[in-house]
Amino acid sequence: MHRNMYDTDVTVWSPEGRLLQVEYAMESVKQGSACVGLRSSNYAVIGALKRSVNEMASHQKKIMEIDHHMGVAIAGLTADARSLAKWMRNECLNHKYVYGQPMPSKRLCDDLADKHQRTTQTYVRRPYGVGLLVAAYDEATGPHLFQTCPSGNIYEYYATAIGARSQSAKTYLEKHYETFPESEKDDLIMHALRSLTGCVQGDGELTKENGSIAIVGKDQKFILIENDDLTQYLDRLEVEGGAAEGGDGDAMQE
Amino acid sequence: MASLHLNAATTAPSQHTKYPIVTGTSVLGLRYDGGVMVAADTLCSYGSMAKYKDARRIRTVGPATLLGASGEYSDFQSIMDMLEGMEQQNDNFDDGHSTDAQQTHSYLRAVMYQRRSKMNPLWNDLVVAGPNFLGLVDKIGTTYTDNFIATGFGSYLAIPILRKKWRPTMSEGEARGLLEDCLKVLFYRDCRALNRIQIAKVTEEGGAVVSEPYEIETDWSAASFATTKGGLEGDGGW
Amino acid sequence: MASSGSGYDLSPTTFSPDGRIFQVEYASKAVASSGTSVGLKVKDGVVLVTEKILTSKMLVPGSSRRVHGLDRHAGCSITGLISDGRQLVNRGREEASNYVDTYGIRSPPVVLCERLSSFAHYFTLHGALRPFGATAMVAAYDEDEKDYSLHMIEPSGQAYKYYGCAAGKGRQGAKTEIEKLDLQALSCEEGLAAAVKVVLQMRDDNKDKPMELEAGWCRDGKYSKVPDGVLKDAEKKGREELEEEEDMDEDEDE
Repeated sequence: MHRNMYDTDVTVWSPEGRLLQVEYAMESVKQGSACVGLRSSNYAVIGALKRSVNEMASHQKKIMEIDHHMGVAIAGLTADARSLAKWMRNECLNHKYVYGQPMPSKRLCDDLADKHQRTTQTYVRRPYGVGLLVAAYDEATGPHLFQTCPSGNIYEYYATAIGARSQSAKTYLEKHYETFPESEKDDLIMHALRSLTGCVQGDGELTKENGSIAIVGKDQKFILIENDDLTQYLDRLEVEGGAAEGGDGDAMQE
Repeated sequence: MASLHLNAATTAPSQHTKYPIVTGTSVLGLRYDGGVMVAADTLCSYGSMAKYKDARRIRTVGPATLLGASGEYSDFQSIMDMLEGMEQQNDNFDDGHSTDAQQTHSYLRAVMYQRRSKMNPLWNDLVVAGPNFLGLVDKIGTTYTDNFIATGFGSYLAIPILRKKWRPTMSEGEARGLLEDCLKVLFYRDCRALNRIQIAKVTEEGGAVVSEPYEIETDWSAASFATTKGGLEGDGGW
Repeated sequence: MASSGSGYDLSPTTFSPDGRIFQVEYASKAVASSGTSVGLKVKDGVVLVTEKILTSKMLVPGSSRRVHGLDRHAGCSITGLISDGRQLVNRGREEASNYVDTYGIRSPPVVLCERLSSFAHYFTLHGALRPFGATAMVAAYDEDEKDYSLHMIEPSGQAYKYYGCAAGKGRQGAKTEIEKLDLQALSCEEGLAAAVKVVLQMRDDNKDKPMELEAGWCRDGKYSKVPDGVLKDAEKKGREELEEEEDMDEDEDE
């Protein structure tokens, strides 16, 4: 194939009308550890698996607060994500300064998508190698879950997952998402954890060290649930036992 | 950079707004039981000349916000253009988000403060009203909210009356009566005021509506108006 | 493909020996593989209908919009890459707003589309850029002439005015179907029904893939999104009619 002719610059179309550099950037999202997101009619929850490079290193941060009403989970190049998060925080602050109210999440995510897109159409910059799950709550429109891609595409989901081995989480979520609208906070968090269990590498386990959850919603400012705060939920997961293993079984078949 | 230096050397220093040219006088606003009411006359003065007698200084912004302006009328028109652009953007997005009175108030504060910080203010004092909101933004970006607000000469002549007569439980009719009384006093004593006025209200149910202009009755028989001051010493002034 | 491997197809700044610009043609391929869009100018307005192929059942309806408002009197639909299309939308909004600010009246459709096409065309002129992988159909009202118009802006920067046009996967078949319509006799509602039916008709081979219709129309001097209920009804009616026709065809075959 002539593939290699068309796949080194973002600004070159392949004969099939594809942008291979952009597609490759999308691959970097799949290299990142898994993130899941889901929402009810009042809350949005994101969860992620944190990695550590070795036992002496800390776990890499996966979920970041953007504003009181918004946070992101990231899969892909962490440094790219940090610069995007910084930009998003800035946009939220500016909006709050000008309008006195929190930034509508849909508009921020659309702007974010446009920011991604611009890198795919000019020679000078590479696409961002990161996918974000944005969980947000707007006073006017309720909870939201968005997914952004390096291509500049943006999707709004009831539930979804990105990153390595995220297919098993997606399968779990697809099986249960229709019950989410009525779910309470804790139920959503449990769903997030259950869907994450299938994404753990090899014979590893979901622990308070590598797990990370965040929630935002009605009368609920964005909070991160990690380490000891996570223990109670993990305990519940262990008690469920059988159910969780069922989830794992699914994952093995992927 | 080169061109910048050249400009600085060959062109006159740039001038910012230092004084207004065509001006509207006081705007009044008050909360009443069920909504918020705003009132102003329809005069725009060119210096001391009563030049435009049908200048509408209270406008609606979107479905449920009122904006009243005193000061430079052209600056007000330009502010309205900005706000209409913002409304159009909201319509374009069509995503369930709109700009309410509170946000408009905050937005105008940001604009006014930024302009004054660049030493180039928009020469207006603005009254912003929503169904449950009444606030002011002035030409230097100061803001406050209150149960009643008056700009310009109104802050000297109408505020004392409002302090005395305003009650939170006022009916719509009482509110309107009080505003008309205030505007009448302003017409008597403010040489840039007119007895042709507009009243506007904004409520949860009905949104923002502005009345057509109408004239208020005046009575010039009071002694202070009727007695000539010719007999006094000096040039007849105070 | 003769173009591929020749070296004449790697930049929009390169002509091939027979005078073609392959990069622009490749960009058009991205549009050609997108869901079908149809635009119709009818008696009392313009109707835009587009098909959005869904990648997951967990997507929130209305996510990744393809039909956008540009101004009070204008709106457009996007065929091809949504992220590229949104840049056209943003530019269209900017142009429309600048025009009002400058001239105090809404931009005449021809002017708006000419400016938008110049923008698209610019991206075919530089080595550091790539042509848009999107086509925009613009429905607009001329407030001076009291007339509606439909334009289609393509990746090449071409922009023609149409009575009826189609883009995307099913464009050939759609064009044939549109030619059968008596457009000047149709009202907006009838035009919507016809356009919806054409779009549905064109997806014979992948009927079962999840999809969503989006529609906008310009009528009574204003552009607006077609209300969800109205569109759902039109979609239902379109499906029923197509099924009936199919049954009849089968009867004839017997």
